[in-house]
Amino acid sequence: MNDANQSGHAIPWFTDFAEGPLWYVAATVFVFGVLWRIVGLLALGRGEDKSVPKQSGMAGGIKAILLHSVPHGGFFTHTAFHVIAGYMFHIGLFALLFFAAPHVDFLRERVLGFGWTPLPDWAFIVAAQISFAGLILLWVRRVADPVIRRLKDAHDYIGSGLTFLVMLTGCFALQESRPVLAGIHMFTVDIWLIYFPFSRLMHAFTFLFSRYYTGAFYGRRGVTP
Amino acid sequence: MSDTTAPQTSAAPVDVPSAVRVMLDQMGANIATWLDSCLHCGQCAQACHFHEVSRDPRHSPAYKLKPLVKAYKRHKSPFAKLRTTLGFPAQDVTADDLREWQELIYDTCTMCGRCTVVCPMGIDTASLVGLTRTAMVAAGLGPPDLLATADRSAEVGSPLGMTPDTLEDRIEWLADDYEVDIPLDKDKARVLLTVSSIEAMKYPQSIVAMARILNHAGEDWTFSTKGYEATNFGMLSGKSDVAAKMLGRIVNAAESVGAELVIIPECGHAYGALRWTGAKILGRALPFAVQHITEYLADAKAAGKLKLKPFAESITYHDPCQVSRRGGATQAPRDILAGFAQDFREMAPTGNANWCCGGGGGVAAIESATDLRLKVFGIKMDQVAETGADTMVSACANCRQSLDAGKEHFGWDKDIASLVEIVADHLDE
Amino acid sequence: MVRNTGIAVLCRAVFVCFVFSLLTVFSIDVNPASAQSPAGRDVSQGESLNGAVPGNTTGGVSDSEFWRQVRSGAAGGLVPLVQSQGDEWSRWRGPLQTYGGWILAVVVGIILIYFAIRGRMRIEGGRTGMVIPRFSLTQRVAHWVIAILFVILGLSGLAIMFGRFVLIPVFGKDGFAAIASLSLQAHNLFGPLFVPAVIALFITFLRGNGFKMHDLKWIMKGGGFFGVHASSEKYNFGEKSWFWWAILTGIALSVTGLIMVLPGLGFERGTMQIANVIHTAAAILFMAVGIGHMYVGTIGIEGALEGMTRGTVDVNWAKEHHDMWYEQHADEATPDVAAAEAQAADGKV
Repeated sequence: MNDANQSGHAIPWFTDFAEGPLWYVAATVFVFGVLWRIVGLLALGRGEDKSVPKQSGMAGGIKAILLHSVPHGGFFTHTAFHVIAGYMFHIGLFALLFFAAPHVDFLRERVLGFGWTPLPDWAFIVAAQISFAGLILLWVRRVADPVIRRLKDAHDYIGSGLTFLVMLTGCFALQESRPVLAGIHMFTVDIWLIYFPFSRLMHAFTFLFSRYYTGAFYGRRGVTP
Repeated sequence: MSDTTAPQTSAAPVDVPSAVRVMLDQMGANIATWLDSCLHCGQCAQACHFHEVSRDPRHSPAYKLKPLVKAYKRHKSPFAKLRTTLGFPAQDVTADDLREWQELIYDTCTMCGRCTVVCPMGIDTASLVGLTRTAMVAAGLGPPDLLATADRSAEVGSPLGMTPDTLEDRIEWLADDYEVDIPLDKDKARVLLTVSSIEAMKYPQSIVAMARILNHAGEDWTFSTKGYEATNFGMLSGKSDVAAKMLGRIVNAAESVGAELVIIPECGHAYGALRWTGAKILGRALPFAVQHITEYLADAKAAGKLKLKPFAESITYHDPCQVSRRGGATQAPRDILAGFAQDFREMAPTGNANWCCGGGGGVAAIESATDLRLKVFGIKMDQVAETGADTMVSACANCRQSLDAGKEHFGWDKDIASLVEIVADHLDE
Repeated sequence: MVRNTGIAVLCRAVFVCFVFSLLTVFSIDVNPASAQSPAGRDVSQGESLNGAVPGNTTGGVSDSEFWRQVRSGAAGGLVPLVQSQGDEWSRWRGPLQTYGGWILAVVVGIILIYFAIRGRMRIEGGRTGMVIPRFSLTQRVAHWVIAILFVILGLSGLAIMFGRFVLIPVFGKDGFAAIASLSLQAHNLFGPLFVPAVIALFITFLRGNGFKMHDLKWIMKGGGFFGVHASSEKYNFGEKSWFWWAILTGIALSVTGLIMVLPGLGFERGTMQIANVIHTAAAILFMAVGIGHMYVGTIGIEGALEGMTRGTVDVNWAKEHHDMWYEQHADEATPDVAAAEAQAADGKV
């Protein structure tokens, strides 16, 4: 990120802003917003279920978290598009987010204090391509599928659109030659982080609880749906 | 469909505040998390039998949740207060929403839970629809025929008008006609047997079958006029007071005969109502164990108390949603059939992923849902045709009734039977 | 910036090709940061060097004998340091930019003039509310994937191609350097996705796109653009031509693009230069017609866009634009929009 000396370009104020004050604001909103939403949900509590369980609800909950990650119940042929495009997008995004060399550097220098071995450049580009392909496919389906058209709301587009922008500006900054490009990427990341806790992007965390509760419900009945 | 219900309901005032209050009262962490999690991916539509036959995007399960989602976002979401304070609260539920959604919540959802299997977030749509039904009732909405059925069950003891006297007459007649001992109102018994009024009125031989089997197994059992109706239309319709009343009767009867075990007959939702939500409605743990009749039979067979002559014809099993997927008694009927049915064929999909009959969740009692329900039977016909089996058995009188209606409508050439009756017909005595 | 393999080097190589033009001849490892060096600008604009050594290289006067040796590889290395074919490539590039720019400008101009004179082509009979399924979900997905890639690759390609003339005056040299960098990266990253997208487009739209005799009549009637009704089946002659045009230029773009983006496959510099010229020409041809397609598909013709979003079209639209297709599918017309959309989604079109 801070390669001003290498490239011989002064870091523009914009990049300074996006990597400095705005980044701290965004990270704060993200962390506290996400915590607030999760705690707020869990604090609603559930009444105790006094029925006699057949099997452990907790085991069922954990099983469901894993099971709903894969197609089951004979649905794969019907949902192959969602599953394949969804996995392309999410696996690619995960690889980009945590294994792109600049990201590992950023996390080491600015967030965690330690790093790990990043992906080689070519693998990271392939991950980006897979991820973009997945996101575009899901997006296009959202426009064309009558069921999704009926379900959709603005946040579906804002969330996926912002994610796309973050990825796109990341791609723009790949050459790492222009601090302003890194700044634009960082700016979109900041906006994305601020939007995150208030949006459907929260599913990155809530999927755990949503699946768990259902799994616990079914687990008590001895069913793994 | 909405043409028939709209004129009746749009005239009636809709009590939105009560509906919202009922929604919010039940909105615990699990409900709220589910409502928070939907990503609008639409995969659930692939699992819904009503969407499968209508292809109407309104019938996708996720869409049915909309009023509840609105109530959540407006009042219960962790950011609801912040939004209200800042002056841009989320939209609240409207009377029009509730009117429009009545059809989706009642006519086009059997609360079968199949959509949960395919949902990447694991959202339990069936529970959410059940909750929305209670709000509909609070708003003064709901299909009149289903609500009337529920009220009748509260007033006379049974949705099909089977009073304690009718039960007594019927048992007397069946015991005489079929020469079987059917105990009623014994002072004490280990097992209290209940009945679904669908069986008593439409398939009375099923009562004979249960009696024969329990007698064959040497069980100490009885019917009770204090509590005999296993079906709970209060729960199906969203009338919580009726649900509690129906449940109280069974608990009362079981306690008075000192039953250790209450057996639910071949009825899907009755099993879930007592086995899984009974304790919640009662407010304490049930003072007895609950088994579906298939679970009882499987146990009796395993214990060597059930001697059966082999059943030779080809047979397939339709999983009642509330018994298998949402009940957990998926394996019991298969244990009964193992070794007994010589030519048992599984449907595809089967077990916890099996298709619904189309008439569960009280939908069989909703006149305006008939067309769609019959179309759903087409799925079942295809499934059975694929197995090549001549007979389809189920373990739910409500399924059986819906399937029989489909068979009659289409002039289908396969046999539809009850598992318990087949077992009773093949007792080796 | 290390890495001797893969896309990283190629990214730079292509970037360098575009921005520095002839300077690549002398140095393979040019720092992108020197994008604004005066030499780079001078040389790439093809001005005469008058015998001066280009760039900031020390030494003043060229020696033709010395340069011949460099060119042949005799001066020190086993590999020729100067690749003469680069001169050929630079001779193609200028005209491509000039004429390519004109072609695109003329297309846009024609569309603007047509729109100014004739305006939007309305559904003459008005909407009936009855719809017919037209495009399957698979077709629509394939179409929009390639449409999104068209926009990303088109814009980044145009920036690479014409940015020096169009963007520098607006954003300045520093600004353009950033835009050039991002365009290059976007073009290289999204480019490979275009290849499967073209294949998917070909497979999903092949049926019905064969030319037939009655297409001649459509041509004779000016395609219905000048007030005369022109009959057609599911696709008219214009759409069929666009399909094959997009597939052929798409194949050319894919093959030449892959040659440039995958130097690891062992393509020589000369091959890449030829690929670059073909790539540029094909892109201009693809975009020129593509812009027209975008016009008729959106604001140009009322009722066309929904065929590609919802998958269904209004009956009157079908009658007016694809009467022969309408005749074949008249029995599918329905006021139940949801049912028609479901039918389209299922691929029964």
